[in-house]
Amino acid sequence: MNIEFGPELESFRREVAEFLDVAPTPAIREAGKKTTSVFAPFEQVMAWHRILHAKGWAAPAWPKEYGGTGWSVEQRYIFAEECRKRELPPLLPNGLQMVGPMLIELGSEEQKRKHLPGILSGEDYWTQGYSEPNAGSDLASLQCSAVADGDDYIINGSKIWTTLAHHSNRMFMLVRTSKTGKKQEGITFLLLDRTDYPGMEIRPIIGLDGFPEQCEVFFDNVRVPQSGRVGAENDGWSVAKHLLKHERGGSAASPAMLHAIARIRETARQTPSPFGGVLADDAVFQRDLGELEADVMSCRHFEQLAISGHPLARDAAYPSVNKTMNSELSQRISIMMTRVSGIETVPQQLEALVVGSNVAPLGDDFDLIAMPYYLNTRATSIYAGSNEVQRDLIARTVLAANR
Amino acid sequence: MDFNFTEEQVMLRDGVARYLDRNYDFDARQGLLRSGAAWSKETWSQFAELGVLALPFPEEVGGLGGSAATLVPVAETCGEHLTVEPLAFALALAGGALVAAGDNAGARARLADLASGASVGAFAYDEGRGLAAPAQIAMAATASGDGFTLNGEKRLVFGAAQADFLVVAARAAGKAGDAAGLVLLLVDPKADGVTFTPFRTQDGRSAAHVRFDNVKVAGADVLVRDAHDVIVRLVADAILLLAAEAVGAMSALMRITGAYATTRKQFGVAIGTFQAVAHRLADMKIALARAHATLTYSTALAEAGRLTARDVSVLKAQVGKLGRAIAEAAVQTHGGVGMTDELSVGHYMKRVLAFESMFGAADYHFRMIGQAA
Ligand SMILES: Cc1cc2nc3c(=O)[nH]c(=O)nc-3n(C[C@H](O)[C@H](O)[C@H](O)COP(=O)(O)OP(=O)(O)OC[C@H]3O[C@@H](n4cnc5c(N)ncnc54)[C@H](O)[C@@H]3O)c2cc1C
Repeated sequence: MNIEFGPELESFRREVAEFLDVAPTPAIREAGKKTTSVFAPFEQVMAWHRILHAKGWAAPAWPKEYGGTGWSVEQRYIFAEECRKRELPPLLPNGLQMVGPMLIELGSEEQKRKHLPGILSGEDYWTQGYSEPNAGSDLASLQCSAVADGDDYIINGSKIWTTLAHHSNRMFMLVRTSKTGKKQEGITFLLLDRTDYPGMEIRPIIGLDGFPEQCEVFFDNVRVPQSGRVGAENDGWSVAKHLLKHERGGSAASPAMLHAIARIRETARQTPSPFGGVLADDAVFQRDLGELEADVMSCRHFEQLAISGHPLARDAAYPSVNKTMNSELSQRISIMMTRVSGIETVPQQLEALVVGSNVAPLGDDFDLIAMPYYLNTRATSIYAGSNEVQRDLIARTVLAANR
Repeated sequence: MDFNFTEEQVMLRDGVARYLDRNYDFDARQGLLRSGAAWSKETWSQFAELGVLALPFPEEVGGLGGSAATLVPVAETCGEHLTVEPLAFALALAGGALVAAGDNAGARARLADLASGASVGAFAYDEGRGLAAPAQIAMAATASGDGFTLNGEKRLVFGAAQADFLVVAARAAGKAGDAAGLVLLLVDPKADGVTFTPFRTQDGRSAAHVRFDNVKVAGADVLVRDAHDVIVRLVADAILLLAAEAVGAMSALMRITGAYATTRKQFGVAIGTFQAVAHRLADMKIALARAHATLTYSTALAEAGRLTARDVSVLKAQVGKLGRAIAEAAVQTHGGVGMTDELSVGHYMKRVLAFESMFGAADYHFRMIGQAA
């Protein structure tokens, strides 16, 4: 065992810090402060993506030959920490953490050549078209169909909850190509190289926080090339499962959580306690924040073990454990934020939340995001497989081990 | 013991419910908010006509001789409809302060207008993060002549920008934390030095932060001196009505979520057949039963004049905590659609969360209960 970050890592940290201190524009910094879900404000986060790309730092987790940084896991961790410290908008996960790694693993050479550069550079934004109105947790029952026609597929049906589809120019999706046999065995994985095909319509859905983030997407005889298929026809379910591993395992969550805890503590220092003094000195508050922080630290330890390749992360239940733990922790953090903000969470501040609106928040930056963040964070136990479904998966591994 | 509402209360509640069912369903409510109106003037005048606005006030001033507690069944119904009218704020708080002013002529006149629906009032009390009880009020009222000069800011004043009069809770002596030294003052919203920053709240109400810069208050407009105990009583009344609204919202969440779990199908069956979902519904029902029981019992205590500070803390903490639990369970059970603005579920959630954050959150009240035993 060895838990040291050697001295060379400290100089790496300085190099990262120097860049992050100067590279983001004011609008990008503002977008970071106004990020209230896993999806940062679109325009600015993509601008930041392009800046990082120019520096060669957009995809630290990718293999070097595909444009990754070649950093060690420790370096990646340091980079993530330094980004969070500055509240920079986290790059959108769909391309870099989902389709990209999946294509590197399973895509054809042509697909890699065609799509990886745009993902890496931030020219393209990929939206995820899996869920349908009647296929949520039971994703395999999806109905949106693709019928082969010459070199094309013709798509009919609809998708829902497609995050940021209204900003996207690419979509990865699951379609039904066969209605016989097991429902998982009639699904195909497609890459759409446009989201403005004739017959395709995208309608944003307003979320609890008052902003459009998810969308409905309708397909009316949409003709797309078959060359966008990943894997074989009717073998899309296994492609999706590969991709899900990246979605649920994902990147390190603890730097963001620890940063949020630090913000909570700092805000509590400026918040009067009804029992005298400031909230940060209040024993009950300290106990509650301490418990939350301890749970975040365990999450961090779990992450560190996982990135070191520890067997814990090779357990079949690992992605589900990670997803359930992280989502519930971020929900508790969001509750703690609203607890500190108190009545300052009550005003709705739609305009002040828009980057570049120049509308001053009614309280401070922390009060501005506490409630929208709380509301949006409710979704973390719903998306990427609800936590009920995750617990079923985890339980199955426990039971299987004892069979 | 009898925990049933009187026949008059039931009739009034049913009258309000009939009106709201017809005119204030969720779509109508959302339309009202989109129109930019602070609240529905028609609904307010309907409340006046039905006697809701006069009910909590003494007969000598044109009231019907009830109390805030008498309005609990009406408030519950309002909560089920997610109304945005300032029932608790205008009646229990601003109106209650006028009643407490005794025979103050200005107060009497405004009370009559409030009870008839001719005017509304707002109660300027809160000051930002961390204020959980009246003794913590800090905003200064400096003695000048027989009146005061106000300087400072009040936050989250419901209906402030629409109000015909403001009642301001301020500190004339001592420091934040002292029970002594508080005053209740009547202030004209158009007076020099009063400025509003209006906004919509998360749960659809209209409120404003209000600044006071050298605002002069005449001696005749001093409603209550040494006002701590009065403010405590007014806040208790407001908590009772807001808790009733929250419990109404919680009942609606239970009903809507139960219906969804029986109609939404995944894996070929209704999601309510999954044990994880079924047990969550059961937990919601247990939480609702507890909240309802505490609300009803607290109402009876209030009617008997026996609602202690400890009882208020039990009510506020329990409804806040159980309300959050029910709202989070409702959203989770709805899955993706629960996260949309289109469904009422999230709006009910915002209503119970707003309740939880006002007048001291559950954490505060749990400690008060623990200390008071
Ligand atoms: C913010 C957000 C972003 C999203 N982004 C995307 C996206 O980009 N692309 C995309 O394709 N999808 C996306 N989704 C959709 C998401 O994957 C689905 O919402 C999720 O799979 C749940 O499906 P559902 O909403 O239909 O809920 P349902 O499946 O109807 O579930 C309703 C409730 O029933 C429970 N339940 C269902 N089945 C079981 C069971 N077997 N046992 C126990 N409980 C069960 C659920 O846990 C939930 O509580 C997003 C969703 C949200 C909220």
